[in-house]
Parts: sequence; C-alpha cells; structure tokens
Amino acid sequence: MDMFLQACVNGLLMGGFYSLMGMGQNIIFGVMKIVNFCHGEMLMVGMYLTFILYTVFGIDPYLAVPIVAVVMFCLGAVIQHTLITPSLGTKSFTNLLFLTVGLGLLLSNGALVIFGSDYRSIRTAYSQTYIHLGPVTMALPRLISFGVLVVITIALFVFLKYTTVGKQIRAVSQNSVGAEVVGIEVKKIYILTYGLGVALAGIAGGLLTQFYTIFPTAGASFGFRALIVVVVGGLGSIPGAFLAGIFLGLLETMSALFISPSYSDLIVFTTFIIILVFRQTIIARRK
Amino acid sequence: MDSRRAVKVYHRNVAILVGLILLVFALIPMVVTSPYILNIFVLVFYMSTLSMAWNLLGGMTGQNSLGHAAYMGLGAYACCLLVVKTGANPWIAAVFCMIVVGLVAGIVFYPCFILRGPYFTLVSIAFGESIRQIIINSEFFGRASGVGLPFGGDSWLNFRFASKVPYYYVGMIMLIAIYVLMKKIDRSKIGFALKTIREDEDAAAAIGINPTRYKILAVVISAMVAALVGFFYASYIRYIDPDLMIQAKSTESVLPAVVGGAAYVEGPIVGGLLMIPLSEYLRANFSSILPGINMLMYAVVLLVVIRFRPTGILGWYMHSRVKQWIDEKILKKPPVEVLEEAELLEYGKKEA
Amino acid sequence: MAETPMIEVQNITKRFKGLTAVKDVSFSIRPGGITGMIGPNGAGKSTTFNMICGYYPPTEGKIFYKGQDITDKKAYEYTNMKIARTFQIMKPLKNLSVLDNVVASSYFGHAGAKSPREARERAMEILQFTGLYEKRHVLSKDMGTPDQKRLEMARALATKPEMLFLDENMAGLNPAETEDAIRLIRKINESGVTILLIEHIMKAVVSLCEEVIVLHHGEKIAEGTPEQVMNDPYVMEVYLGTKKEDTHA
Repeated sequence: MDMFLQACVNGLLMGGFYSLMGMGQNIIFGVMKIVNFCHGEMLMVGMYLTFILYTVFGIDPYLAVPIVAVVMFCLGAVIQHTLITPSLGTKSFTNLLFLTVGLGLLLSNGALVIFGSDYRSIRTAYSQTYIHLGPVTMALPRLISFGVLVVITIALFVFLKYTTVGKQIRAVSQNSVGAEVVGIEVKKIYILTYGLGVALAGIAGGLLTQFYTIFPTAGASFGFRALIVVVVGGLGSIPGAFLAGIFLGLLETMSALFISPSYSDLIVFTTFIIILVFRQTIIARRK
Repeated sequence: MDSRRAVKVYHRNVAILVGLILLVFALIPMVVTSPYILNIFVLVFYMSTLSMAWNLLGGMTGQNSLGHAAYMGLGAYACCLLVVKTGANPWIAAVFCMIVVGLVAGIVFYPCFILRGPYFTLVSIAFGESIRQIIINSEFFGRASGVGLPFGGDSWLNFRFASKVPYYYVGMIMLIAIYVLMKKIDRSKIGFALKTIREDEDAAAAIGINPTRYKILAVVISAMVAALVGFFYASYIRYIDPDLMIQAKSTESVLPAVVGGAAYVEGPIVGGLLMIPLSEYLRANFSSILPGINMLMYAVVLLVVIRFRPTGILGWYMHSRVKQWIDEKILKKPPVEVLEEAELLEYGKKEA
Repeated sequence: MAETPMIEVQNITKRFKGLTAVKDVSFSIRPGGITGMIGPNGAGKSTTFNMICGYYPPTEGKIFYKGQDITDKKAYEYTNMKIARTFQIMKPLKNLSVLDNVVASSYFGHAGAKSPREARERAMEILQFTGLYEKRHVLSKDMGTPDQKRLEMARALATKPEMLFLDENMAGLNPAETEDAIRLIRKINESGVTILLIEHIMKAVVSLCEEVIVLHHGEKIAEGTPEQVMNDPYVMEVYLGTKKEDTHA
C-alpha cells in the first residue's frame, strides 16, 4: 500500500511535466495545425539554459525560470518568423513536419557539439531535502516544481479564456481565415503561439534540472509524451491536457510498479496507439 | 517521320548517359581500394534504398512515416535470428524476413489507416518505439546486447566476405533493382492511385480507388523493401542491436528523400549521393573533437533546403538552366511538341 | 414505366444529429437524359447528391441503380458500376499536370486501362474531347476556375461512366464560359452518358434538362419539364418569395 501511494505521488509529480509539455504542443498544434517535433529538444534547451545560468551566474534554478521563459519565447518567435511562417505558405505538410524534425536535429546535435555527451546535473543546497508525508517521501525540488507547474497551468487557462490575446489565439485555432477576416493579425498570433509553446517547454526543462540529468537527447522522451498528451487530452483543451499528463505519469509509475519498470515505455506506447485508433474509429463511425 | 527519329536519338543519348554512369559505378571498386571509401559507397547504396522505401509511403502516398528504422531493424532481426537459430541460408532468410515484415506492417497498420495526416506519423513513431522496447525486453531477441551473425570464410552462399567489394556490387544491384521497381510503380495504376490519395482521399474514392487498400499496399511494399535493406545491413555489419531502431535512425532514413526531392523517384538517390559522403567525411574527421557535427550539418542542410528549395534538390534541378542545357546540348532532347507527335504516331492516332 | 430507370431514389431521408437535411425524397432518372436538381441554398441538394454518390448513407430509404440496390455501396465501389461524379469544390490533383490528372482516372473504372500506354492514350482522347488538350502540361493548381471545372469533368469521364453526377459545374463562371460548359455537357450526353446535375444557373438548367426536380427545405416540391416547373405556383413562390411566411422561414 505504501509503495502504491508512493507510486501515485511520483506519477503525479512526473505527470505535471507531461502536462506542461502537452499544453505547449497543444496550442501550437491547435493554432497552426502542425506537430512541433522539436518540442522535446526545446525542453532540453531550457535545461541547458538553466544549467548555464546556475553554473556561470549562480542564479537559482527557480529564480531562473522567468529568464528562461523570456529567452525561450524569443527563440521560438525567431524560429516562427524566419522558418515556419514562410513554410506555412507552401501548404506542404511533409515539409512542415521535417522542418520541425530538422530543428530538433539541429538543437540536439548543436547541444552535443557545444556541451559534449556528458551527463550534467544541478545540485543546490535544497536538492537533497526530502519531505515526509505519512508513508510518502517527496524531494523538495519535485514538490516546488509541481507547485510552479500548477500555477502556470492555471495562468495559461485564464490567459486563453479571458484576455483579448488569448481569445484571439482561440479564434485563430478555430478558423484562421475567419480570424483574419475579422482583423486578427494571424501572423502575429502564430509568432506569439509558437513563442509561448516553446517557452512552456523551456520552463518545463528548467524545472526538471534539479532531479533529472541534463544531456543532449534528454528531451526526446518528453517530446513524444507531449504528443500523447495532446492526442489523449483533446485538441485545444487545457484541463484535458493537464489530466492527460497526470494520467500518463500515473500509467508509467503504475506499470513500473505492477508489471516491470522495463516495460513501462512499451505500455505507454501501445496504450497510445490503442487509444488513438479507438478514438478515431469512433469519430469515423459517427460521421 | 522526322519526329520519331529525333525521339530515337534522344532515347539513345539517354541510354548512353545512363550506361556511362553505371559503368563508372561498376568500375569504382577496381580503381578505389580504400575500404573507407568503399564503405561510404555501400552506405550510400543501402541508405538510399531505405530512403526510397520511405519515399513510396511518404513522398508518393503522403503518409509521413517516422518509423522506417523499425521495419529495417525488424527485417535484420528476422533474418539474423533465422540464420543463427536454425542455420538457414541467409538468402532464404532474406525472403523470409521480407514476408514477415510485410505481414507485420500490414496487420499493424490496417486499423491505423483510419488516421490521417499527423496522426499516422505519431502512430508510426509509437510503433517503431514499441518494437524496439519488445526486443530490448525479450530474451528471444537477445535483449539489449543484440545478435551477431557467424563469421567464417568468404562465401557467396552465405553472403559473407572479408572484402567490401562484393557488398559494393550487391548493394548497387539492390539499389538499381529497387529504383526500377519504384519507377515502374510510379507510372503504373498503383502509382497513380497512391498519388491521387496523397492529393485528396475523397477525389480518389470518386474515381474508384479504395484508399485503405492502396495505403496498405504501399505500407507493405515499403516495409518489405526496408526489410531487404535490413537483411543487407545485417549481412554487411554482421552484428545488430536494438539501437538500429532508435528514432534518430528513422529520421536519418527520411533525410535523403526530403533533401533530394520527395516528389521524385530519384530524389532519395540524389539526396543520398550528396549527403551521406559529406556526413561520413565529417564524422570521420571531426567526431572526436566535435561529436554530432555530421548530424548538425545534416540538420542545417535539411532546414536550408526546406526553407529555400521546398521541392528538394531535384525539384530545383528540374526547372533549372542546368537541366535545360544538358537536355539540349548533350541529350539532344527534342521539344515537347515533337515528343508528343512521335507518341501519337506510335499510337497510330496520327498519320505520318 | 416499362424501362428500368437509371437511378431510382425511394423515400430517402438524412438526419444530422436532429437536423433533418433531406426528408422523404423520391424520384427517378430515365436513361439517356439530362436531369436537373434545383432549389434555393440549403434546400438539401448537395446532401441528396452525396447520398446518391455513396459519400454517406441515407438515414432511411433506398437507392437503386439499374434496378440494383446500391444504398450501402461505398463511394469507391461506384466507379466500377459505371457511375462517376464531380465535386462542387473542385478536387484536382494539385501537384500533377492536367494530363496526369486524367491518366490517374483512366486506370480505374469498369474498363480501366491495363498499361501506362493505354492510360495515356485514353487521357489524350478525353483531353481533346473536353478541350483541355492545349493545357495538358499545366499543373492543375495553376489553372483558373473554368478549366478546373472542366478538368473535374474530364477526370470523371476517363472512368468511362454511363451515369454522371455534376455538382454545380457552372458556379463561378461568366456567361461565355457557361455557354462553353453547356455545350460540353450536351456533348457528353450525346455520347451516351446519362447526367444528373445540380445547378443554380436557371438558364443552363432550362436549356439542358428535360426533367427538373425542385427541392426546398429538404423536400421535393415539384418535378417535370423546365416549363412545367417554372410555371408551378409554389416554385415561383419559393424562388421569388412572394409570401411573407417564406422569407421568415
């Protein structure tokens, strides 16, 4: 029972990251109808950024979050403006797909060239602080990270639902032509959306640094899980993405606990395939 | 009558050019003795073939798979295991592995073709990763440590050589055979069905194409060719492990096609001939100081091509002055009107 | 009626989640003629059309083709039964040349080409027939609306149909282009193809069709020769909106 509770908590804490990644991917996919295949690499860039800020400037990883967010937003905006927007015009899904795949290659191999393949980590004064809650033990950084995640999720939800810009983003994701007709500057929204999505991935990376090793391909598994979250949680739904992320985290820890840790990836991937095919079949039947 | 003669001259010139290119490639192993250089050629041959397999599904049918390394890996595993566990002849194992992989791909993707666009890509990734996880977790597949093929004396029967030269020729023949096959498909009923599906599935159904049936056909052929490459790879390297199927390998198998021009059957070969030697050069000379530099270069080329030449190198070439010059001055290609006049004469639709 | 109708529609109804788009519509199309289907926007023309073409099945009712029940046939099974259709929103194969667009169709249908050569031959014939021959090397996405509409018909004809469904093939054309389209449709019909067309342009309907079916609010309100239909008081009311209750609805 204790182990079950511990696994629940671990799954919940990890699931938060999948949620955050999924939300970024979700708004990008929703607005531009493209899958951002370098989303995981953006998380990795966020990790290295936090790492540099900590080792070179001595900035605490949590205080670095706003800096990372701003830098990543700018990076995303530049990429959108120089690469993705021009390619959106060609309407070639293949090209857009491999554009983001190429960006992912560029970032992960760029990191490999700059930092080498060494595993790095950040150890702060409170990294090894644990909090005991009954039978469950939690590392303090994980708990703080989760708290930040929840705050950001709520903020994002409020932003999209109630602010003018948020409403514009939702309008564009419903119908970009219609949005353009009523005077929304769609290209600006694209830049904003991609910047925001990338910033969310960067934040997730920054929050991970204290309990996850930093290496050039660290983002890969998060990147794919973000896609799962989008598909399972439903397009355009922030609460859906949050729940799907938590579900994914729990699925992983539960399958590790009850079956075997080495099968958890397999279970995640096959569950994903089954859910996807099942859902699309239902949608097709309804037509 | 003139138009027909002009076309004949043109066809003869094309044949001479193709013959010359083939001759040069056939002579390379007799001139070049460096195993390092020969290895690069072998790599070009099998990676381009794999990329052609991808292109049938991605470029022609518009189903962007990112899991082709899994088909290749599965083919390599099926072949190695049959040879190691039963002592079967590798050539028979090659046929076996193609059938197995074709069946697996067909069965797995049958329900998945209800998915369109990005969803298909996601499933292909998940499928590839699942296969890799199954292999890592299974004693039968040798877990993470992989499977080795037996070494021994040179033998055609066992497709086993110390020298790289036989692999060079087999690889080259494989590339040519698959190219001819793809070219045939491109012009055939299947090819037009696949291209119609790529453009619009409803339009395809309206002219009598059953989209699911043709997509399954494409995925099965594509997977079988990838399995053949897997057989070749296993026979060449003589050792395989699950890393063969990682996501990055699937991506690598797509790059030659996209860089070369995914709309063209020749695209993967052009992309492979240009990219792989460059990548290998960088890997050999810089990977100790700057690991990842070769893939970084790959990524930069890919981004530049997509951003500035969205139809790939061939897409640019097809409308370039270079092609115009080669067509006119070297191949003596007659104008389109003359070509068609000859075609109509051929059909007997027009009097000479 | 002695001869079997080409298409016979019996009491078809289509409901989309509570909204009834087509209600209890029946009609039949005799072989060899041109039948028009007209009605104001939202009358259920396209829905009826899509049901007959196998795009989606009717909620209720049956559809017969030459006496054979085809209600549950899939869209791609129609071609082999010598039925072809065009789309209101053109669906050319954008990245292929006009010739290849038609070559693709030539491979399919009851008499699909057996070889690339045969397919090209047939495609050339069709292009000459439809007047697109001069433009055969143009990419279809680079053509204007009139030519794309023509290409839609050429692609359908390449499957050698006996029954052709045309979905608003003249929408967006100017008067001269409409004349050309009318000539082409008549030519197709004279070559032995039965045609059902949806059209907004009354002039085209009057000059082409022997029979007209009028739909309104998902129901058939009139049927007959163009003259009969045009003089029907209810049809006039629907089109000209003389009574207030109609503008309100």
